[in-house]
Amino acid sequence: MIPLSNYLIVGAALFVLGMIGFLTRRNLILMFLCAEMMLQGVTINLVAFARAHGNLHGQVFTLFIITVAACEAALALALILMLYRRGHTLDVSIWQTLREPGQEETVDLDAPPQPPREEPLPHLTPAGTAPPAGDREESYV
Amino acid sequence: MFDPQTMLWLIPGLPLLAAIVTAALGPKLLKHWSHLPTIIGSAASFVVAVMLLIGLAGTQGDGPHVAASGYTWFAAGAFKVTLSLQADTLTALMLVTVTFIGTFIAVFSAGYMHGDDGYPRFFAVMSLFLFSMTGLVLADNFLVLYAFWEGVGLCSYLLVGFWFQKPSAAAAARKAFLVTRLGDAGFILGIMLLWSQFGHTFEFGPLFREAARQADNPYVTVMCLLLFCGAIGKSAQFPLHVWLPDAMEGPTPASALIHAATMVTAGVYLLARCTPLFVLSPESQLYVACTGGLTALLAALIALTQNDLKRVLAYSTISQLAYMFLGLGAGLKHESLAVFAASAAIFHLFTHAFFKALLFLAAGSVMHAMGNVIDMRRFGGLRKLMPITHWTFLCGAAALAGLIPFSGFWSKDQILEAVLHAGETHESHYRIMYLILFASGLGTAALTAFYTFRAYFRTFWGREKVPPEAGHHAHESPTVMTVPLIVLGIGSVLVGVVFEAFTHGISRFLARAIAFQPLHMPLPVHHTNWLLILGSTACAVGGIALAWYLYNEKPLLPLGIAHMIRPAYELSLNRFYFDEIYTLLVVRPLETLGQICRFFDGILDGIVDLVGLNPRLIARLLQPIQNGLVQFYALVMMVFLTAFLTIFVLWLRQ
Amino acid sequence: MAVFSDTSTLIAGPWRFVPPLVLAAASVYLLLPRPRGRSVLWGAVCGIPAIALGGFVCFRSDGAVFPETFLFYSFSTLAVTGGAVMITQPNPARAAICFALVVMNVCGLFLLQAAPFLMAAVIIIYAGAIIVTFLFVLMLAQPTGFSDADDRSREPFLAAFAGFTLLTAVLLLLDHSYPPVKPFVELLNRVDVARSQDSVAGIRNALGDGQAFLNDLGREFRQAPNQKLGKDWKDAIEDLEPELQKKDDRVDVAALKGHLATLVAVGRDIQKAKEVKPLPAENVAALGRLLYSDYILAVELGGALLLVATIGAIAIAGRKPGRAAT
Repeated sequence: MIPLSNYLIVGAALFVLGMIGFLTRRNLILMFLCAEMMLQGVTINLVAFARAHGNLHGQVFTLFIITVAACEAALALALILMLYRRGHTLDVSIWQTLREPGQEETVDLDAPPQPPREEPLPHLTPAGTAPPAGDREESYV
Repeated sequence: MFDPQTMLWLIPGLPLLAAIVTAALGPKLLKHWSHLPTIIGSAASFVVAVMLLIGLAGTQGDGPHVAASGYTWFAAGAFKVTLSLQADTLTALMLVTVTFIGTFIAVFSAGYMHGDDGYPRFFAVMSLFLFSMTGLVLADNFLVLYAFWEGVGLCSYLLVGFWFQKPSAAAAARKAFLVTRLGDAGFILGIMLLWSQFGHTFEFGPLFREAARQADNPYVTVMCLLLFCGAIGKSAQFPLHVWLPDAMEGPTPASALIHAATMVTAGVYLLARCTPLFVLSPESQLYVACTGGLTALLAALIALTQNDLKRVLAYSTISQLAYMFLGLGAGLKHESLAVFAASAAIFHLFTHAFFKALLFLAAGSVMHAMGNVIDMRRFGGLRKLMPITHWTFLCGAAALAGLIPFSGFWSKDQILEAVLHAGETHESHYRIMYLILFASGLGTAALTAFYTFRAYFRTFWGREKVPPEAGHHAHESPTVMTVPLIVLGIGSVLVGVVFEAFTHGISRFLARAIAFQPLHMPLPVHHTNWLLILGSTACAVGGIALAWYLYNEKPLLPLGIAHMIRPAYELSLNRFYFDEIYTLLVVRPLETLGQICRFFDGILDGIVDLVGLNPRLIARLLQPIQNGLVQFYALVMMVFLTAFLTIFVLWLRQ
Repeated sequence: MAVFSDTSTLIAGPWRFVPPLVLAAASVYLLLPRPRGRSVLWGAVCGIPAIALGGFVCFRSDGAVFPETFLFYSFSTLAVTGGAVMITQPNPARAAICFALVVMNVCGLFLLQAAPFLMAAVIIIYAGAIIVTFLFVLMLAQPTGFSDADDRSREPFLAAFAGFTLLTAVLLLLDHSYPPVKPFVELLNRVDVARSQDSVAGIRNALGDGQAFLNDLGREFRQAPNQKLGKDWKDAIEDLEPELQKKDDRVDVAALKGHLATLVAVGRDIQKAKEVKPLPAENVAALGRLLYSDYILAVELGGALLLVATIGAIAIAGRKPGRAAT
């Protein structure tokens, strides 16, 4: 039987990773996914405790957490949509109106990342033979 | 009619009442009738003063004295000060002088200041001044005297800076006040030293009796010199004489009252009152006499070249005051000599009040006619234009020059006699000094005659010349201005002959002053020193003749002489550069000190501001945390939560 | 596995958490997206040993069975790795897929802990509904898949540092609260052996160094699951200690053996108290019974909450910008 503390460690690890992601990433959707991952860590904890105590209370609690997470997901998505309509981007950093009156806005000063390289088109080997050199001057219909 | 105590309270009280009435009702109600309360008040005060004088003169006995005790000003342990008045013969004479001159100058001012915006203010301050001056001479103890001393200083400031919008007038008022303040610092030190040494009292009587008992107190000389400091400041002696010429920025009647007749004589009065003290210290008397002699010569030399009529009169005031101090310093240890010398000085004060006030008022009349121009180079030959002013000015000038039988002659003669006697009746080194002082006194008399008549000839003789500012004013002054001139003219002619010359009434009257009582003096014996009379008359006539020659007969000669002795002329014209020296030695360092203090004050202000700015600075430090980014807020929360948990866990593990 | 878990106790107590967590923090920091590019290579170089070391020092294997432990290790490793990849992935669509992977592995862990219903529920709701919805929104909002903001992170160093400090604190706490069981069992066996001896010398021989034995006993106080048993254990030690510290010729053998017997009894009580009851096999039925008896109120509220959330989502998202509230 796997000792309780092992599961708790895994739960803690997931929770912390989720927290780091929540605090770091700037995409609204991604922030929310990291929050969900935090909840996953918590559910691991709860189920492990349920197992350790030998009753199902922890699992019931987990069910409710999932319920609440679902509601939260719905509302969060609605809000994200509203914010997207206002700001036309999923970046959370554009919403800075809560700052102190004397503060300047925080803008990104680094160079924008290079545009994603275009996927190279598949390169086909030429089929057939090239037309004779002299014919190339003539226009084709 | 009144009992003596009431008289004592009335004499300063009436001008005070006039001042209050004028100040309260003048601007709105009285307007161009604002002179009435002042004239009525000072006239009434004069009447009461005369009654007091007659009363005291009629009293038999050695020291006629009236005392009126007031209420306790403050008392702290051994330190008790009461507001009480006293009057002896010295006081009575001074009161009569002050109120008489004051009344007529007030009458003159009603004409002179006509049409001025500050008409009520002028008369209010003039009444206040009369109150302070009469209170000063009536004071019973040193602190009350000091209080009124400052009072007259204040009124002088208010009157010199009467036209305060003019920067030079405001600066002159400040200068007068500050320079006299320097003297007053020494004065109050002297008072306190007196208090501490002689019985912890301020009153004159007990204090001088105690001083007579402690004749060998080592501090006596210091005390006398400190008191003399106050007199130097108030009476414009060297080295604090620089304020008096500048004080001519004020209206001419104010100059006449304050800086000719009354305020500047407060120092002389003080020293006369403290004769019992000065008698104990011959060194201080010698110092007083030397200061007097030096200042007299200095002022006379400066007055030789001044072009401004009022400045000439100002320097002549300094010179005549120096004469009075010369007289006061001739007392030494010989009792009857002390009384004689002091009474000579007071008599000269009395006559000087008349003729100097007259001269100033005449100058005011000239200024009024010439449209506020007083530079002698710009007008001339006014004797036909302004006859009354001319004749009264001549009377005053003759008195100042010391011609027989005008009043100035008798008083100057008494002083010179006192100095001569002081030289004769003492040790050798004192004798030499007093002989030198006598010589300087004679020389000053000659110079006085010369510059006085120089001014007279330049103003009233020569080609008739009126400056363009005069406009339609160039005529004799109105009656309200000429009547005081005539009265004072008669006074300056007759007062010497009538009261002193042959009857010695004033000296005998003064000798009975209680101020001199502790000395138990016999009445002085007069013998007429014909040689001295001849000598001084010769000096006066010689000076007048020289002035007539240079300024009437040969008008171009003074210019040539001035060219020949150019350095001396420049030195005299620029008032011996005293102002410049003082600016360099005193004013500049003080200004620098002020800047340094301002710098430190700025630092302190900065520190206080820093304390006040602290919250804002701390807020600025912490402000970047509130940058509006929600993720950042969550991060900060998480960081501190982590810190807390970590510490908690580590603490738990112990 | 057993061999590894024994050697893990050789490394000094709490400091053994530091290397793996430092490596993990470094790897997360390196992997977080930055405008000038992130170094995946270095991140991996730091991360893989971090996970390995972490598992090594953190996990205990007290009496575990082989298939179970293998499954546990694989699920947990994949979950944590998936989580790390998810938070450091610039492309949000790929990050969503990684989240699906995490959810799968977490459900695997649920299965290991006799929660099959939960496994199914979580997979359906999370991997099925939530992630798919998110991907839809992502497609609508970021058709290109990439945006400028995705390539940046806010305060990567501070977040990684603080996060892993928190993890260290939690791990230390867990290490303190759940001490390994094996040394405890071994200690009890030793006491048992000593109890069966007849002479003092024999007892001392079996127990080993007296002071070290007492230290071990004191340390094992942490094993007690509740206060009463902890107190009993402490009392037993206090009774034993003076007896043990007497000189050999003064020792009362019978009393000593009595104390040792009490100690063993308390120890066995502790062991029994920490035994885990097996969960019911009919998981769904038991869950349902529990839900609809003990938690009926919560169920109703949960339903109401779902309804309100639905209405709310429709109300919020249905508004067009600029239009007044309807």
